[in-house]
Amino acid sequence: MELITGENISILIFFVGFAGLMLKRNVIKSIICIGIMQVAIIIFFLSVGLSPENVPPIDATGLQNVADPLPQALMITDIVIGVGVTATALSLFIHMYHQFGTADWEKAFKLRKDSEE
Amino acid sequence: MNNILIYLVLFPILTGSFLGLLKCKKSLKQRILTIITIFMQSALLAGSFYVLTFVKNSGTIIQNIGNWPDFIGITLKADMYAVAFVLMSICLFTFAMIYQLTESHIEARIFSLLLILEGLIIGIFVSNDLFNIFVLIEVATIVISLLIMYKKDTISTYDGMLYLLVNITAMSLFLFGIGMLYKMTGVIDLTGLKDILSVFPDKKALIVPYGLMLTAVCLKSAVLPLFSWLPHAHATPSAPSAISAVLSGIYVKSGIYLFLRIQNVFSDVFDTYFLFLILGFVTAVAGFMLAVSQKDIKLLLAYSTISQIGMIMMGLSMNSVSAYIGGVYHIVNHAFFKSCLFLTAGIIIDAYKTRNIDSIRGVFKKHPIVAIACVISILGITGAPLLNGSISKYWISYGAKGWAEYALIIINIGTMAIFLKFSTILFGKGPDIKMNISKIRSLPVLILSVMCLLGGILSEPIISFLFNVQMSPNLIDYLEKSLLFFISLGIAYLLYRFVISKVNLYKIASRLELGFNGVCISMGVFLLVMILYIRVFAM
Repeated sequence: MELITGENISILIFFVGFAGLMLKRNVIKSIICIGIMQVAIIIFFLSVGLSPENVPPIDATGLQNVADPLPQALMITDIVIGVGVTATALSLFIHMYHQFGTADWEKAFKLRKDSEE
Repeated sequence: MNNILIYLVLFPILTGSFLGLLKCKKSLKQRILTIITIFMQSALLAGSFYVLTFVKNSGTIIQNIGNWPDFIGITLKADMYAVAFVLMSICLFTFAMIYQLTESHIEARIFSLLLILEGLIIGIFVSNDLFNIFVLIEVATIVISLLIMYKKDTISTYDGMLYLLVNITAMSLFLFGIGMLYKMTGVIDLTGLKDILSVFPDKKALIVPYGLMLTAVCLKSAVLPLFSWLPHAHATPSAPSAISAVLSGIYVKSGIYLFLRIQNVFSDVFDTYFLFLILGFVTAVAGFMLAVSQKDIKLLLAYSTISQIGMIMMGLSMNSVSAYIGGVYHIVNHAFFKSCLFLTAGIIIDAYKTRNIDSIRGVFKKHPIVAIACVISILGITGAPLLNGSISKYWISYGAKGWAEYALIIINIGTMAIFLKFSTILFGKGPDIKMNISKIRSLPVLILSVMCLLGGILSEPIISFLFNVQMSPNLIDYLEKSLLFFISLGIAYLLYRFVISKVNLYKIASRLELGFNGVCISMGVFLLVMILYIRVFAM
């Protein structure tokens, strides 16, 4: 059994990103970690049922060994969503930074509690 | 009229996008917004009624977009539950928008975002394709985080940021789960998935994707360890009350709806009823404990949403038809009374200029109409006889077996304690302020509370109209439940009078809040526990 496949690597990368979300207190790093998770998901989808002799599903005239086109279509959508999400998160972060003056989740959490009282 | 489902989703989204470009004088803007809202909402209501009668007469509508064969393209599916939820959300959006129109300072941007959100939520309800659901939820998350931090002040920027990142993390888990399922089965269509999974040989391989998807869905519907984002998102001080009403009344239901659909697909493979019965109970208890300790009236309402969600989840996980219908009916009922409460809270906050429950008194004297609407919805949520809450709670407890029956009584006593605390704002002698509220402002609130009343009195025809089942409560049982209501009201009063009002719970409760890393860690722990539980008990 081969260990280094697209699927195993993507699972590894996904949980590296998730570990970053659990452990890192910087907001920018959290946004980057979400980006890492998205890349892992894209690799996973693209490697589903893919073998080295597959050809791209571009020409519709009865090619042999065509790669499954559905995950590729899904992932184009996901890439677009990823761009939108990252852009929104970064622009919201600018507003948050203006208000709190910090990029640290814990500090912002404490400041928020103080301003509530 | 074949494509009506697509129009129901697309129409509000397109109108909303164009509305965002509107720039003109204030008086003209108000007129344009009023016309568009009324036109749009009545068109949507008519459309969803048409779909509802169509589904009742000739069964479920399934529509393949782009005319692809089954299980390849995106499909939209309108069955009884989906249409009922669509109708409910259009109704509530209408009231929220009318309420928003009467604000002194109206902006086109809020309406544009609300219309887009309405289209997305309808899309989530009718979509039958997992990836499509993922896309719609992701976009809805972005729209909602913009609505939460609309005023861009200190508190709301933090709340919006937390909401956005937590929910996107959860949806990443969801998408990863979809990927694993696709790898094994080759479909992402819910109907096709159910067919394949019922004969799927390798159950062990399904544990991880199921766990990933359920973790995301549980975060969306705010189950116990994963609810830290909800109260602040739903009750951030600067967000308009109409938005709180929409989020707490409708949007949270899309998470539960997803739970319902995914449980339905996996029901042949894993048996997780018991786990979610327990989780629902724990969530409900934690929700009312936290709600009772709040001082801010909007936060109190937001935490009580968590407690009601726990109850709905119990109803859906009892493995009995009547509890299931009761749970679904409670979703609809909760949408009505909770939006009514949030809107009345908005009116009261505007008048008193404070959200602290201790400094608001005497609403009854100042504005009886608002107070009456408030009382009716409080009676609804606590399950008083003749109101809608009592019917759905009756059906949930009708299907409950063993300890679950007592658990439901405990939850209801907790709910009563919350709203005994809430109702202190109605009486007493308040500060001398003027409440000059226009008649139109209290209109949506009043209609919502009348609907709570109708939902109780006419429960039989409504249930058979929405869900196509005949369910009539047994009179003697119902009287017994009504007696139980008054007994538990007494217990709740004693509890409130002698325990809750004496102890300072606020400090303890505020320590339980989690930051972003805490929410992510609890998500990881939840995922692990889920996978272990399914591996050991649910195979």
